[in-house]
Amino acid sequence: MFLDLTEEQKLIQNTAREFARAELEPVAAALDQSHDRTPLLKNLKKLAELGFMGLNVKGQYGGSEAGVVAFSLAITEIARACASTAVTLSVSNMVCEVIQAVGTEAQKNAYIPKICSGEYPAGGFALTESGAGSDPSGMTTQAVRDGDEYVLNGSKIFITSAPYAGVFVVWAVTDKDAPKGKGISCFLVEGGTPGLIVGKEEKKMGQHASATNELIFDSCRVPATAMMGKLNDGFRIAVAELTGGRIGIGSLALGVGLAAMDYATGYATERVQFSQKISNFQALQWMMADGYTELEASRLLLMSAAWRKENGKSFAKEASMAKLFATETANRACYSALQMLGGYGYTEDYPLERYTRDARITTIYEGTSEVQRLIISREILRNFS
Amino acid sequence: MKLLVCIKQVPDLESRFKANAEGVWYNETDLAFRMNEYDEYAVEQAVQLREKLGDGCELTVLSIGPDRVVEAIKKALAMGCDNAAHIQDSAASSKDPWQIASIISAYAKDKGFDIIFTGMQSQDRGSAQVGVTVAEQLGFACTTTIIGFAYDGGTVTAKRELEGGIKAAVKLKTPALVTCQLGLNTPRYPTLPNIMKAKKKEITAIPVADLLKEAALATTTSFHPPAKKGGGIVLEGDVADLVEKVIAILKDKTAVLR
Repeated sequence: MFLDLTEEQKLIQNTAREFARAELEPVAAALDQSHDRTPLLKNLKKLAELGFMGLNVKGQYGGSEAGVVAFSLAITEIARACASTAVTLSVSNMVCEVIQAVGTEAQKNAYIPKICSGEYPAGGFALTESGAGSDPSGMTTQAVRDGDEYVLNGSKIFITSAPYAGVFVVWAVTDKDAPKGKGISCFLVEGGTPGLIVGKEEKKMGQHASATNELIFDSCRVPATAMMGKLNDGFRIAVAELTGGRIGIGSLALGVGLAAMDYATGYATERVQFSQKISNFQALQWMMADGYTELEASRLLLMSAAWRKENGKSFAKEASMAKLFATETANRACYSALQMLGGYGYTEDYPLERYTRDARITTIYEGTSEVQRLIISREILRNFS
Repeated sequence: MKLLVCIKQVPDLESRFKANAEGVWYNETDLAFRMNEYDEYAVEQAVQLREKLGDGCELTVLSIGPDRVVEAIKKALAMGCDNAAHIQDSAASSKDPWQIASIISAYAKDKGFDIIFTGMQSQDRGSAQVGVTVAEQLGFACTTTIIGFAYDGGTVTAKRELEGGIKAAVKLKTPALVTCQLGLNTPRYPTLPNIMKAKKKEITAIPVADLLKEAALATTTSFHPPAKKGGGIVLEGDVADLVEKVIAILKDKTAVLR
């Protein structure tokens, strides 16, 4: 059993860490407060140039071929500085991977290099609808064949990076009479396509710099060649690709949790009450011990899931376990860390309130904790029946 | 044209240092290592020259140390060096600057390097002797602590920063060695594809015994933290009096007020 990283993985982790400290951390608080996304877009471009948009993508499409473990490490390091940047990266990587997994050669060549190079600031993943969240097979957006085209009508919600995504992977019903989940297909829709309207931006609790919008399809016409994968096979694609995305979100949560505990622990070694550093108090020591223990466990779960995916083994259960545990841990870590700062933790002068808000969504997006438990238990029970 | 850049892997300076069992160097256990900051400027400058000169140019990176230094070597390769020499030495930290320089010179002497880049000093040992000693041993022209670099037709023009911010320009005929200082450039981040591609670049491993023929000239006899000072001066009393006392102390003990 070998638990150390390779030299390449360490170099990627260090590069991500150094970039995050130098470029992301100084702007993260301002990005959270302001509506000006210029610094975010600038940093996304730099990250693309360094190869962070296609970590697990082949070199021929402009990817880094660095693997899933490196992807997890990079997302964690980026998230330690800025969760909004990290989620944009995670989703864009996922979009590259889904196109690489099921796209035609023409589709791969058309879109993956543009995301990897930063020509597109991001990629979009348009699955969720107002009536189809945890149950995406209940979607109603339709794609109807019309000659050499498909006409899309309907709407999606909670679409990350919608205002600046260069291309969206979109799921739509192509056979509404088919059994649930059997009549859905997957399409690639370029940003700016007539009939594709970026709707209202959500006012969220956290991760403010990452845009989350409604996406409306108003007789949006795409060529038939925009279909990705086989007709009516789209739902399977969504399920498969979300599994990899969970490693990204778990890794993001780990980064936020680490940032919170690191900040609070440093603070506790300086803050004096009752004539001594508050790190002398066992109450805080136990928070640190529990926080870091759970974060380390999260890291190991994530590394295991990432390693399994990288080595072609089944990883659905492990990715769900890692996502579930890392995201719930991050929320607990933020809660304890904020508590360690007392009243200061609740103010915007310290980053804990931001970390806490940023962490909250991680148990919800890319599959809620409840859905992860469903997946995990289903995988377990499969072995008992 | 052949270029050489010499790098050292040093501990992250934010680490907590403890003396080793012999009490002559730090204990390496649990330390995180990275490329010496000044060597990053050297690598960046060498890579910039390598890119400018194009395919007729070959840039080698050299590092002396245990297996862990391969990580720093790989970073330099990912930044743009063509190949590497890893001088394997698990006891590099116990060697004095003369020996380290002698190892580099023994490696470089018959390789026909035109320009050698080094950092101006290491962040841990800080002797600032290795670069200049290598130049002396090889008979290279040398200038130190450069903050500007240009090369044209066999001549290096280096800019140096002197005490008080005064600048100097130095011209050297190749073969030449320069030691690089903060301000020379901004080292690039290695791109991820280049990190992965660096795996295929050749790293030649050479046992240190093949190169080292010199005995040490200097020995570190003790490594220890500074003695703990007293707890400072605590002034008490009326604010108006305190101000006068502080001013008096600042005038007396420091150069802040005169």
